Amino acid sequence: MSNSNVNTIVVGAGRLGSNIAKKLSNNKNDVVLIDKRKDKIGNVVDFSGFVAVGDATDLGFLEENGVKDAKLVAFMTDDDNTNIFLADVCNEIYRTPEIYIRLKDSRKMKIVSSNVRCICPFDLSLIDFDEQWKR
Amino acid sequence: MKIVIADGMHEADYIISKYNSKANDLIVINEQEDACKYLSVSNGIPVMCARCTRESDLREAGAEDADLFIALSKNDMTNYVACKTAKQLLGAKRCIATVVNPKNVEVFRKLGIDSVLSSTYLLGEQIRNAASIENLINTLSLEDNKIIILEVRITPDLNVEGKTLKEINISDIGSISTVTRNQKVIIPNGNTELKANDKVLIVTTEESREAVTKVFQRKK
Repeated sequence: MSNSNVNTIVVGAGRLGSNIAKKLSNNKNDVVLIDKRKDKIGNVVDFSGFVAVGDATDLGFLEENGVKDAKLVAFMTDDDNTNIFLADVCNEIYRTPEIYIRLKDSRKMKIVSSNVRCICPFDLSLIDFDEQWKR
Repeated sequence: MKIVIADGMHEADYIISKYNSKANDLIVINEQEDACKYLSVSNGIPVMCARCTRESDLREAGAEDADLFIALSKNDMTNYVACKTAKQLLGAKRCIATVVNPKNVEVFRKLGIDSVLSSTYLLGEQIRNAASIENLINTLSLEDNKIIILEVRITPDLNVEGKTLKEINISDIGSISTVTRNQKVIIPNGNTELKANDKVLIVTTEESREAVTKVFQRKK
């Protein structure tokens, strides 16, 4: 993602989600960061985008936060099933061009559409270990 | 019929007891250990304690090629992913997901889940039906709710007003037993015409109740 000035939504304000939101925002994108946990949202610092507290699996709430116009969405909650559901919603209902999700269990990638880009921290760590070990 | 029952406690117990026979091959998988024990002991069948959203767990449970896959978790997202996995990777012919949030009924359907059930959603539909036929004054049930007796007051805005029983023809779903007109009780026949202010007694079954109430709805 190198474009700027597009509407983006990030769901899940943990470390990964909030840092992705900051990156997008620093690249001059309009970002809405969503989490259902108020304290998580409150802990995010140095983020200049919008924040919203609520349940992203409620489509009405997603629409209030501009999912219809979003060009990029990133689902980084700690629940794989929620991320997969939201990816399908954006892919099949809103036709969002760019979709990223986090998967703790990369085997679940099998049921995810090829339009969706999966980020699997476990697999990445293993690759990194492999590279450092062989050095 | 091969039926996979994923998660759920009392709901799962009910479905298992209903379909536990030689004619059916029941595969029960549950994430919660206490639920596994309970379902296994109360139904005398093996229950696999594993995750229904994991392809490998489902395969280990023997859930491939199910005729029916039922996801009963309290977590809607779990049910969505379980059904998707069963359908796409394990060849399930038909999937049913239950949902807690009634708004998910339409969303899940749009995303390709064959059947989506929500008790709140059904309640909402019932209320809508009931509201459209407020003329339906009394109901009485007999034989453990197997027999339902409905009393309907005929008003000019009902579809059936001015029609004969032959024209209304509900013989498949119930029978119009009596018509009370000007305090006189008539045993109707096919040529009896329903008029405004009549009170009609209909005998039906629980299953056909909705179909009967539809016949007595207001004109659209």
